[in-house]
Amino acid sequence: MREHLYRSFLVSLFILLGLTLLVAEEGSDREGAIVNGYGRTKVGVFLKNGDYFLSENTLDLRFRYNTRGAAFYSNVVLYERTGELETPHLRELYMDLKDDSMDLRIGKQQVIWGKGEGVFITDIVSPKDLTQFLLPDFEEIRRSIVGVRGALYGESSTLELVWVPWFTGTLLPRKDSLWAPRQPFPVVPTILTEELPQFSLDSSSFYARYSYLGESVDMSLIGGWYWNDTPAYTVMSKTISPGVGLMDLTIQPEYYRVYSIGFAFAGTFGPAIAKAEGAYVGDKRYQGNPIVYPRGYAEKNGIHYMIGADYSFKGVTMGVQYIQEIILDYEKDLLSDRLKNMMTVALSRTFFQDKLKVELFSYIGLDNKDALVKPKLTWNGIDSVELFVGAYLFINNTGDFGQYHDRNGVYTGGKMSF
Amino acid sequence: MKHRRLGVLVWVLTIALMEGIANAEPSGREIMQAVYDRPQGNDMSGTLTMTLFDSNGKERVRVIKQWIGRYGRVDKKLMIFQSPADVRGTSFMNWSYKEEGKEDDQWIYLPALKRVKRISAEGKGDYFMGSDFTYDDLGDRHPSEDNHTLVRTERINGEECWVVESIPKDPRYMYSRTVTWVSKEKRVGVKRDFFDRRGTHLKTLNVRSVEKIEDIWVLMEVEMHNVQKKTSTRMSFQNVSINRGLPESIFSERTMVRGVE
Repeated sequence: MREHLYRSFLVSLFILLGLTLLVAEEGSDREGAIVNGYGRTKVGVFLKNGDYFLSENTLDLRFRYNTRGAAFYSNVVLYERTGELETPHLRELYMDLKDDSMDLRIGKQQVIWGKGEGVFITDIVSPKDLTQFLLPDFEEIRRSIVGVRGALYGESSTLELVWVPWFTGTLLPRKDSLWAPRQPFPVVPTILTEELPQFSLDSSSFYARYSYLGESVDMSLIGGWYWNDTPAYTVMSKTISPGVGLMDLTIQPEYYRVYSIGFAFAGTFGPAIAKAEGAYVGDKRYQGNPIVYPRGYAEKNGIHYMIGADYSFKGVTMGVQYIQEIILDYEKDLLSDRLKNMMTVALSRTFFQDKLKVELFSYIGLDNKDALVKPKLTWNGIDSVELFVGAYLFINNTGDFGQYHDRNGVYTGGKMSF
Repeated sequence: MKHRRLGVLVWVLTIALMEGIANAEPSGREIMQAVYDRPQGNDMSGTLTMTLFDSNGKERVRVIKQWIGRYGRVDKKLMIFQSPADVRGTSFMNWSYKEEGKEDDQWIYLPALKRVKRISAEGKGDYFMGSDFTYDDLGDRHPSEDNHTLVRTERINGEECWVVESIPKDPRYMYSRTVTWVSKEKRVGVKRDFFDRRGTHLKTLNVRSVEKIEDIWVLMEVEMHNVQKKTSTRMSFQNVSINRGLPESIFSERTMVRGVE
């Protein structure tokens, strides 16, 4: 199956390159090929016992071919983790058709929306790779979708329409992974293989965004009718013993459709950038007590929003965001709280003509008083070469971040771009 | 005889007055306004090579494509990094307004994040991509933001210059004062000393080369030396084109993401 997929990718790559050459306008500049990328090595150890939790070599190879009316782009990534070479991973592969007032991008691509840092509220198109929780760089957390994105450009505004005929889900940590989250169920469930949406036109997802970038203010409005990229767990069977309660539970991950409308905003207000983002999500499935809910979940609508500000002072760039998720029409037997409150704090500063960068990004769970703190020090003394050292620190022992409190670690590595 | 003497006196006084008018120096504000208002063309594009020298003289080179356009009350600038490899594709856009006190709009695009981000104009005091130029040094500061005094006239590199001291009206501004040597012939600054908030000499900007292109004086090579850190940045321009009719639409999110083709 993997081999078949890999061959399909290669065939797609050559078809798209051929099409690019075909649509290139007569006499246009055909010497627009650019190859770039980077090589990187990373190693990390747990603070508690010095065991390695990360040993990774990466080759990220990007090829772009530009012509006047079209472009072709591919990004192939090779990971070697703990000594084993993984199948080459095709992060992106697409063809662009370009005109003065419109673009059409066809193929495997990342679509990044929203104004928030490290939060995904109106950034609803590209799913994520959470197999290593939120530790990798954001570029590597995002997965690509396979689809078509059309953009129409006005004077200061853009209308984007995205059609995704082929479902791609968020990758979650395997249950034997270091980063497998605690299950919210009262017993350890048996989890069946996930059920994916059928590959057919009927199971397409659709997204739209209108955005404006201009004097003092940038804003966007988004909407989508799509498959939620993280599954809900449907109860397939359960055993309830009188007086004891739930004895046995079998669940199956199941993807489902939701709809969403939202906005994103960023504006200059005196010395600061104020930003906000919000989305209303309809028909979302929230897990509930399997004894109370026959299918294991309830369909509810929810609101997810962020308000924040960025500020720069004496060379230090600071960013603060407050994020809240609200379940509307809440029922007490749901496994999530009605409100979920979180903050992020980002700080960065460069020294010695940008040769040294000190940065910190932190997620703070306000309900459980837990946090993930990611400090990083990067030395860029030679052009295109980076040496870095960083840490992942989990504070407290409950909540989304605190559950990993025994996995505090430090890492180091180097990266060379070309 | 009496009338004749009076006639000579009036003549001498008239000549002296006329000479006085002819030699009268403009005020500091007038000079800086003339520099600000000098013809700069409606648009300009070119390649900027930025060479950073550290305190040991070791150099690093950045190549940037730059576009500048003036559209009514807004001056727009777009910079896209070509090299080195680790910053290739990074772009920076600035919209600066003629209105007094109106903050600039600034955006940055980092290819790794695949998103255009609005950044704080207060960051104008930050150094641009590791150079010795702050974002503010790279813009045209409006003369109304400072009090200007003509200090003296002086010859520098063979050019007769006015020397103007400018003290910011906003005491929180990153410099306590600047001193600018303005060419009388070209109406461009050819040297500027910057003093930090404590009044100590911080940086000197030297204009190494000025060329007339399309009847407009263009600074082709400038060097900023930080005398405190002993670092320098040289910026030189190549392939400069002026008044080619750059469409305003290139100063957009789309161009920041995709580049100018």
